[in-house]
Amino acid sequence: MNGENGILMRVSNLKKYYGEVHAVDDISFAIPRASVFTILGPNGAGKTTTLEILEGIREPDAGEIEVFGMQLKKVTRAVKERMGVLLQDGNFEPYLKVKEVAHLFASFFKRALPVDEVLAKVALKDKANAYAKTLSGGQKQRLAVGVALVNDPDLIFLDEPTTGLDPQARRNMWSIITDLKDQGKTIILTTHYMEEAEALSDYVCIMDHGAIIAEGSPRELAARLGQETIIEFTAGELVDGASDGLETYGKSARTEGETVTLETDDLVHTMEQLLAWSREHQVPLKNMAVRQPNLEDVFLSLTGRRLRE
Amino acid sequence: MKGILRIAAGHLFTAFRERVTLFWFLIFPVFLLAILTLIFGNMGQEGEISFAISVVNLESNTAGPVDFAAIVEGVFKETGKASEEGKEPLFTLTHPSDGEDLEEFLAREKEALRLGRRAAVIVIPEGFNQELLERMMRSGSSPSGNGALTIFVNEGSAASEMATSIIEQILAGVDREILTHIGHFQEGEAIPSETLWVGSGGEELSYVDFLLPGVILMGFFVNGLFGVPGSILFARDRRVLRRYWVTPLTVSHYLAGFSLGHLTLCLIQFALIFMLARFAFGATITFAQPMPVLFLLLGAITFLTFGFFIASVAKTANAGMAIANILNMPMMFLGGLFFPIGGLPTLLKVIVYANPVTYLAEGLRMSLGVQGETFSIPLTLAVPVGWIAFCIFVASRRLSWDVER
Repeated sequence: MNGENGILMRVSNLKKYYGEVHAVDDISFAIPRASVFTILGPNGAGKTTTLEILEGIREPDAGEIEVFGMQLKKVTRAVKERMGVLLQDGNFEPYLKVKEVAHLFASFFKRALPVDEVLAKVALKDKANAYAKTLSGGQKQRLAVGVALVNDPDLIFLDEPTTGLDPQARRNMWSIITDLKDQGKTIILTTHYMEEAEALSDYVCIMDHGAIIAEGSPRELAARLGQETIIEFTAGELVDGASDGLETYGKSARTEGETVTLETDDLVHTMEQLLAWSREHQVPLKNMAVRQPNLEDVFLSLTGRRLRE
Repeated sequence: MKGILRIAAGHLFTAFRERVTLFWFLIFPVFLLAILTLIFGNMGQEGEISFAISVVNLESNTAGPVDFAAIVEGVFKETGKASEEGKEPLFTLTHPSDGEDLEEFLAREKEALRLGRRAAVIVIPEGFNQELLERMMRSGSSPSGNGALTIFVNEGSAASEMATSIIEQILAGVDREILTHIGHFQEGEAIPSETLWVGSGGEELSYVDFLLPGVILMGFFVNGLFGVPGSILFARDRRVLRRYWVTPLTVSHYLAGFSLGHLTLCLIQFALIFMLARFAFGATITFAQPMPVLFLLLGAITFLTFGFFIASVAKTANAGMAIANILNMPMMFLGGLFFPIGGLPTLLKVIVYANPVTYLAEGLRMSLGVQGETFSIPLTLAVPVGWIAFCIFVASRRLSWDVER
């Protein structure tokens, strides 16, 4: 984590309640400059509400936000001048052309980049005269990113930027995000995709039920699970008694449908036990994979649930 | 502010590119004008209109210095002649047959009026000449109108409403003629009636002239009541406005830009309707005076702010359209745009007098000289301004980028 001078945004004791529901429950975190800070959590964890407070869409019930050296109760117009936001569910006027959309948003800011430059950044220059309604999902998302970058912001919010995109479009978006980070921009990201968070994030904050349950770099978080290795395989339908003994292999084992997951800190020994079990019960170990723990495993170990449940 | 100008431009681009918007903004009012003029304007005879009226002259004392009754009767007979060959006269006059009892003739004409076969029955009463002489001795003005004459009209008839308006204008002209004749007339004293004067050298008032201000206001009305909340609420439902929310753009800047774009569209719409009316249907009225321009602008702004009001109280676009439909009927049909508002039950009259359309239609027609003065000019300005203030007050407090806010 950067030193005090390297913090672009600091959030202290932020709260947002809707009656009995604690959407955001007294959270605090700090976001270093020129980094990708990812908020991770299942649906309803409070990450979008947190983001909307930081974007100026909602007002918090309590807490303080310090950004660009200013201490605020809520986000002001001056802060918005230096922010770029990609909303999860925003849209464009269908009968405006791509370049008109970019000009429109550029006109809202005191300082804006040339529209051609913005469209080139998101690879939409050849679509400048196309109506927004004719763009594909990936192109629309790139336009949304372009609009978020039109004021050359220092702080960029990307709320699930790759949801609904095909693998190629997702890779393109990752490349744009990496470029932005290389340019020294600070990015706050939310995502459902573990591999995305692991590939892009410098710092991850895991939320559940409105609270932060873990934070750190992806490597630091995975290291919390110790030196364990994960063994996964598909066992097909296990006949009665077939799973007997499996739970004693490694540090822990669990069966979800046909998938068996084992955690071990002695890979060789556990593998030997597993192969013996396979021969004894005549269960083929299909799709076997041996891997290091990821953020999904971290969330699972903290909450007993998967992120996408 | 460049943001306001860009919002205005975006609004215009969208309106011209979206077929539905284009239809309601430009095609529909033009269509309406054409249809109404062709159907009611003597089936396409260059937008002319003719009213069936009768004049019953009961004055028997013609021995005085001036036979005013004969002058008034003569004027209306004159209007019963076509100014050009092949053209319809403004009034088709029914006369009593030779030797017919005038009281019986009057009773018969009143019945015809009740049945809708006459637009008006003008009665010049016994003692009319003496009454006018006495009035002139007292005040030196208003010889023909104000109770000296009786005009019977059918309050439920559009033709009666229009004919009455024209008759009042003609009588104002007669006033001037008589006062000039006896040397009492001073410039600026009488009601100016040159454009409506029917006779040698004057122009005839056509139905399209009567209709044109109403159609223009109706165009603004539909744009404001349906177009404005439609654009705003559909953009909100589609989450277009959410994107503006996270920029420095404020709601008031957005509304200012939207208003600028909307008023530009109204101007284009006005130009189209006006050109159609003038060049295709022979309308003669001109709007190039301060008061008609003021009323047009006031009308466009009034309906625009009604649109803002609807957008601010409706949660969804569908709810907005429902509210617009609920407001549409009383505002459109109880405002005197196309139908007479006289003779309505008291409850409906309350709506008429609260309806800004009533004052805008009246004020615009009055300023164009196609209708007599029912309300004072300050009142026709004050009521719409009051509504504008109310709508802006509500919209400024309630309109938001997102319904969940």
